[in-house]
Amino acid sequence: MEKESELIRRCIEAACQSKESVEKWRRQRRTLERLPSHLSQSLLRNLLRRRLLFPSLLEVFKYSVEEIDLRGENSVDGEWMAYLGAFRYLRSLNLGDCHRINNSAIWSIVGMTSLKEVDLSRCMKVTDAGVKHLISISTLEKLWISETGVTANGVALLASLKNLSVLDLGGLPVTDSALNSLQALTKLRYLDLWGSKISNQGALVLQRFPKLSFLNLAWTNVTRFPNLSALECLNMSNCTIDSILEGNGDKAPLLKLVCAGATFMNEAEAFLYIKTSSLSLLDVSKSSLSRFGVLADMKMLEHLDLSSGTMGDDSVEMIVCIGATLKNLNLSSTRVSSVGIGILVGHVPKLENLSLSHTAIDDVALSYIGLMPSLKVIDLSNTNIKGFILQPSTESHVDSTLTALQNLSYLESLNLEHTQVRDPDLHPLSSCKKLSHLSLKCASLTDATLHLLSSLPKLTTLHVRDAVLTTNGLDAFSPPTTLRVLDLMGCWLLTEDAISQFLKKHPQVEIWHEIVQNLSTEHQTISNSLSTSQQSLKGPQWNKKQGNLPMPEFFVDQRLKYNREELLALQFSPLSLQSPHDAGSVTPNV
Amino acid sequence: MKKEDTVKLISAEGMEFVIDKEAAMVSQTIRNMLTSPGGFAEAEHGEVTFPEISAVILEKICQYFYWSLQYSRGKETEFHIEPELTLELMMAANYLHT
Repeated sequence: MEKESELIRRCIEAACQSKESVEKWRRQRRTLERLPSHLSQSLLRNLLRRRLLFPSLLEVFKYSVEEIDLRGENSVDGEWMAYLGAFRYLRSLNLGDCHRINNSAIWSIVGMTSLKEVDLSRCMKVTDAGVKHLISISTLEKLWISETGVTANGVALLASLKNLSVLDLGGLPVTDSALNSLQALTKLRYLDLWGSKISNQGALVLQRFPKLSFLNLAWTNVTRFPNLSALECLNMSNCTIDSILEGNGDKAPLLKLVCAGATFMNEAEAFLYIKTSSLSLLDVSKSSLSRFGVLADMKMLEHLDLSSGTMGDDSVEMIVCIGATLKNLNLSSTRVSSVGIGILVGHVPKLENLSLSHTAIDDVALSYIGLMPSLKVIDLSNTNIKGFILQPSTESHVDSTLTALQNLSYLESLNLEHTQVRDPDLHPLSSCKKLSHLSLKCASLTDATLHLLSSLPKLTTLHVRDAVLTTNGLDAFSPPTTLRVLDLMGCWLLTEDAISQFLKKHPQVEIWHEIVQNLSTEHQTISNSLSTSQQSLKGPQWNKKQGNLPMPEFFVDQRLKYNREELLALQFSPLSLQSPHDAGSVTPNV
Repeated sequence: MKKEDTVKLISAEGMEFVIDKEAAMVSQTIRNMLTSPGGFAEAEHGEVTFPEISAVILEKICQYFYWSLQYSRGKETEFHIEPELTLELMMAANYLHT
């Protein structure tokens, strides 16, 4: 979409200032009808964000809006839908995660003539009766009904929507016979069947969709299916794979293959019929793949995920074969060590993103990483990196091993959480001029770290967790002007005063800390219920991230901080005894 | 003020606003009209008529042009927009690419 001009942005802001300002313009009906759709959609989006949109206000948009995205809005119900049903030119309607949407709410959009896209993902109250309403909209081209209450019978009804090209049936109990009845949908390009009851028998029907280019069969019992000549993206995660795409005709022009968590019955055969030479993405994380010879042919591969698999230093040669095109390489939780990283050096000229978290690499690997010229994002969390190598002869003075990273002129993001790097060894980072994201989490970091990092000209996000930061240290910290997020979770010495002082001085920075969170929880409970539900749903990132942190003493009510599952997990792991490394292994690495 | 340095903007009702050319150039649309080599009539006479924009809105637009110039020179003041003008102003801004 075209970027809004400055004046338009200011107009929309003024229009969405308050309830009163809305009243000032909502009666200008003729003007509203003439509004170009991109302007009215932008206005609508802003009203929604400012919590100023209510069903009867929707009416003023009925001649101008073509697309509406109400994802995750808990208040959206039958009344909203009654107004939306009157939208003359509505082309796309997104109601994903609107939990109050039920079958009767969908009745309002029966027979709409311009509607092409409807997203009802996770509207759990929508069942087969809702599908009966949907099939009245013959113009539908894209339909998402994953994780709704629709059954196999409802799915079979969709056969009458002949224009469908995108159909998401994820998490629905689609049976072989239901899929069989969808044969009429010859325009299908995208079909999502994860978690369905499809068997190998049912999968034979897939050949009836000549244009199928995206197929998701994750979490199904399908182990083999025939050649699909237009297939570009295939997801077989958590499946047992026997033989896929076997058959005559042109081999599928596969670009993306995701087999995360898959079990290969016969590794040699699994890839036999796949045109591996065109693949650009391969995800075999958590899978049983143990022979990596197949990688050698993937000359176009850009993204390779081998995490939590059986890859070790002995197989790194296979990555070397295809290193010339690789951009992303995930080796986290593998057996690869510093030796393996050494083998890669000189063979991965385009590598931008490298993850080595939860591996046994140590400081030796850093010198090799420093020789991979295109690197932008590096994850070294939960490794044995210390920041220095002890040499018996020069015990008195050792150079920081992070110096090697200074060679990486494109480095933007670095994760060193749960390593043993300490303040003095972080010094070389101050000359990484492009660094915008840095994550540190170590109980031996002090105020010196903050001071050191204040000279990074592009830093936008800084995590310094569990560090011994003091009130004085925070006070003296003058953050780079680019800084937007400062994550100080678990820095237990900091006081409420220190943090609010800092926020006053640097209003552009958002601080994540247990104290700030307490303040905002209080704030939430007094604000009206509408916005509370909204915040809890879309909530700021740190709500999710603060999970398994060692707990400062001042935290009054433990239930505020942990959800049920986490509390149960804590029963068996006294935090006081947990080393940072153990704590890390509890946190799922993303 | 020399005539070459000004431009006359005419509203739907025929109300005329004479402003600096430099200010009018804040609008990409007006800039194109005044500078395109083909020689729009507008370029010759230094006059642009907007049959779709009312005088109230055109006045606000002119104020915005001047405000925007000052803002770009580092003078940070607020530009107040009355809520009842927002819709019309938005459409005019859309047309004028400003």
